[in-house]
Amino acid sequence: MALPLKYNFRNVVVRWRSSMTTVLGIGAVVAVVIVLRAMARGIEASSGNTGDPRNVLVVRKGSQAESGSLVTREHFRTVQYLDEVARNENGEAVASAEVIVMVTAPRRGGGGEANTLLRGITPRGIELRPQVRLVDGRWFDPGHREVVVSRRLGRRFEGFEVGGTLRAGPTVLSIVGHFDAGGSAFDSEVWLDADEARSIFDREQYSSILVRPRDEAALQSLVNRVENDKQLTLRAEREVDYYAKQTATALPIKIVASLLGGAMSLGAVFAAMNTMYASVASRTREIGTLRVLGFSRRAVVASFLIEGGILAGIGGAVGCLLALPMNGYSAGTLDFQTFAETLFEFRVTPDLMAAGIAFAVSIGVVGSLLPALRAARLPVISALKSL
Amino acid sequence: MAAEPIVQVRELSKIYRQGDLDVVALNGVSIDIFPREFVALMGPSGSGKSTLLHIVAGIDRATRGTVLVQGIDVAGLNESQLAEWRNQNVGFVFQTFNLIPVLTARENVELPLLLTRLNGSERRRQVETALQLVGLADRMHHRPDQLSGGQQQRVAIARALVTDPALVVADEPTGNLDAKSAADVLSILQALSRDSGKTVIMVTHDPKAAAYGTRSLHLEKGEIVA
Amino acid sequence: MNILTFIAKNALRNRRRVILTVSSVAVSCGVLVTLQTLQRELTIPPESEAASLRVIARNKVSIAQPLPARQLGVIERIPGIVAVSPFTYFGGLYAEEKATGFAQFGVDPERFRGIMVEGRVVQGAYDDWVADRNSCMVGADTLDRYKLRVGDHMRFTGTFYPMDLDLRIAAVFQGTVDDRGVFFHHKLLDDAMDNGGAVGTWYMRVESAAVAPQVIAAIDRAFENSSAEVRAETERAFQMSFMSMLGDVKSLTLSVSSVVVFTLMLVTVSTMSMAIRERFRELAVLKALGFRRHELFSFILAESFGLAGAGAVLGIFGTWIFWSTVNLQKLTAGFLVYFEVTPRIMAMAGIVAAVLGIVSAMGPALAVARMSVVDGLKTID
Repeated sequence: MALPLKYNFRNVVVRWRSSMTTVLGIGAVVAVVIVLRAMARGIEASSGNTGDPRNVLVVRKGSQAESGSLVTREHFRTVQYLDEVARNENGEAVASAEVIVMVTAPRRGGGGEANTLLRGITPRGIELRPQVRLVDGRWFDPGHREVVVSRRLGRRFEGFEVGGTLRAGPTVLSIVGHFDAGGSAFDSEVWLDADEARSIFDREQYSSILVRPRDEAALQSLVNRVENDKQLTLRAEREVDYYAKQTATALPIKIVASLLGGAMSLGAVFAAMNTMYASVASRTREIGTLRVLGFSRRAVVASFLIEGGILAGIGGAVGCLLALPMNGYSAGTLDFQTFAETLFEFRVTPDLMAAGIAFAVSIGVVGSLLPALRAARLPVISALKSL
Repeated sequence: MAAEPIVQVRELSKIYRQGDLDVVALNGVSIDIFPREFVALMGPSGSGKSTLLHIVAGIDRATRGTVLVQGIDVAGLNESQLAEWRNQNVGFVFQTFNLIPVLTARENVELPLLLTRLNGSERRRQVETALQLVGLADRMHHRPDQLSGGQQQRVAIARALVTDPALVVADEPTGNLDAKSAADVLSILQALSRDSGKTVIMVTHDPKAAAYGTRSLHLEKGEIVA
Repeated sequence: MNILTFIAKNALRNRRRVILTVSSVAVSCGVLVTLQTLQRELTIPPESEAASLRVIARNKVSIAQPLPARQLGVIERIPGIVAVSPFTYFGGLYAEEKATGFAQFGVDPERFRGIMVEGRVVQGAYDDWVADRNSCMVGADTLDRYKLRVGDHMRFTGTFYPMDLDLRIAAVFQGTVDDRGVFFHHKLLDDAMDNGGAVGTWYMRVESAAVAPQVIAAIDRAFENSSAEVRAETERAFQMSFMSMLGDVKSLTLSVSSVVVFTLMLVTVSTMSMAIRERFRELAVLKALGFRRHELFSFILAESFGLAGAGAVLGIFGTWIFWSTVNLQKLTAGFLVYFEVTPRIMAMAGIVAAVLGIVSAMGPALAVARMSVVDGLKTID
């Protein structure tokens, strides 16, 4: 017969002092692991959910990122007039030739400088990206030195509020609006008119072309046509696929999270073992009594494993609570492909929390295995003699 | 008796607070104990006999009254003076022996000497003398768990003697022992007062143990009754 | 027996607990040292005497914005500059690699000679590189990593530049703080880009560290209000600002480190209170035997300090040996290069452990000091 769970719960509560140290210790380990993994999640999500499945992005063959790509005006003209490209109600091709430029700007609060991406877009650029909404101010006027920045960047860089300015060398750009890109990669960008950008930064060429084919079949045909045209030296792929590939940067953090989690959980297992051994030692008589009453060795082992699991499970829950305030916390990291700062939000998701609690419980069970076996091995008689 | 009393207890009272209640453990006790006496303190549990012993031995403090041991007012000493005083003047024997489990018999006996200025060889000589006195010279390298209860208690007596205190206090020293071991321990305590010039005060509820003493004092409800 | 052996015997009485406690302190100290080393690696560029004599000028807009080649004539005339060369990041992928862990730079080999003075050519000949525009000079680390030899060819696919490079290894250098780079003729870039005339940055050496601030100010002033404003800074400052762009590494490692210290504290505090609680009665006996508070306190302190210290020594030196043996550069594909566990970091972790040892002794010591002998004797363990 198994011991009632109530017994374990009460023991955890009665020995609250040592229980608490175990709970907090495991909680801290779980919190660290969850926060790091939430960070990795956030970084992946920052480029992962970017783009529209109906769009095709065209860049130079061989370039790894849009920022390292060069596309000529002839390229744009060629692509724009392909049959596959959709037209809007005015009969214009739904395609935008874009310029990506990196600008160094001061962080708010004296945190040094960081690079941010400027995206010069042609008029169709906005309607190609329904993810992006204007939330404050207005869109820029082509022909004026005006830009619109993401609201998140606005919080991060000095002077990026609506009405503020952005300095790019000798040029001063007015910030006339904030947009929200729904947590996508565009949330790390500053937008302005493509021709304006080309003139300010002295760029002969564009960086990329974003184009909307008429339908799925046209999309396939467009991709094939661009890829197979040796003269174009261009690469076309679905916009969402392009951004999905830009997620490699979270790997080091995932590695750090696993290493750190492994090392810290080792420490936590030792600590849990300490607590459980002490618990067994101080309950020698009690265990003897239970055995006299007829509980089997197996029941004693199970009981201590369950107790360790409960203790650690509470620790895991505490860890989740500690990690939860980090949900939505916005931070920046360097994208090694563009060398610009990518903004992301920590994402403490339910599955991460569940994994955290499972991790905690396993720490508890592993840590109480040896103490439980020791408890089971105590001879009934000596248990009763112990003072 | 001709000599000055070694312990003079006057109007000693001790009141504990237990929850909301005041518990009177000692109520105006006055006694004199003379050198070389072996006094048995007897009485039912809760009579205050242990409290009296603790106060005389300087590990508890009285609420009212005075205790003079060798003319020194114990209540007038601060914590650290009291500790030093205990080390030099009082030897303790407990019911549960209270030896340090990780130390050998010899190391346990040596423990109180670590507080003195004696060097290693002087300490060793005194430890060996004390262990010989209790008949355990051959067991000095054993740890407590390798000794029987009676042997452990004899090690504890050696520990009480090693600093050569004038006063030895014993709280139910035979409470955890079989009859044979108890007799050995009581004989040793008896010999201490008779042959070595120690004053021994022993708390016990066993009349057979008390019979080894030179005098018995009975307490009931915090007062001396005989 | 003396007091010290008494303390040692007491501390080691529960061997299993000692082992568990020492190991968990050791693991925590190891994690702490590793985190601090990681932070140092990611935020502080390696010290180099030569680097303090070098200045890098980039476009004020950003590092990615090119500078016009014609600026060379102006920069050359600024007093205090010994040598100046274009210095352009190529960012190519080596052979079939998806990510390449070393950088390639286009420079003017003849001018570059006077800039990277601490490096020396260990194989091949510098002049051979100068003479052949399709050759390169490679860092010894990269040469070893890819098991290359002088005369071999290295092929790079351009990611920023619409061109590929095929370079013959003419010389191998060693002795700089980072012996990984590949340097090639800037002319290859000039020819491939029709406009020619653009460089990534200007790289120069100044006469002395003392003139560096004036030189920097003079460069910045020279191009003020031109179409390509310039930001000059010392190589070290440049590296620092680049590293600061890695993001919030500092606050992240700091917060994780403090969590580690916190768990470390929990472990030692709970161990010590367990160790003392279990021995409460014995401590009461010691008190009865005449041991004073401060003596009991030093027993506890010594025990706690000893446990924390043993764990710290094990963890800190173990980690040091570990990271000195492991070839991280290979393991992380060049992301982490030095990962040097400095004496300062080890001392810091040691101090943390020592403080924890003291803090953990506080609670039990206080409980023992407050304990009355009579109550203590009543405790059953």
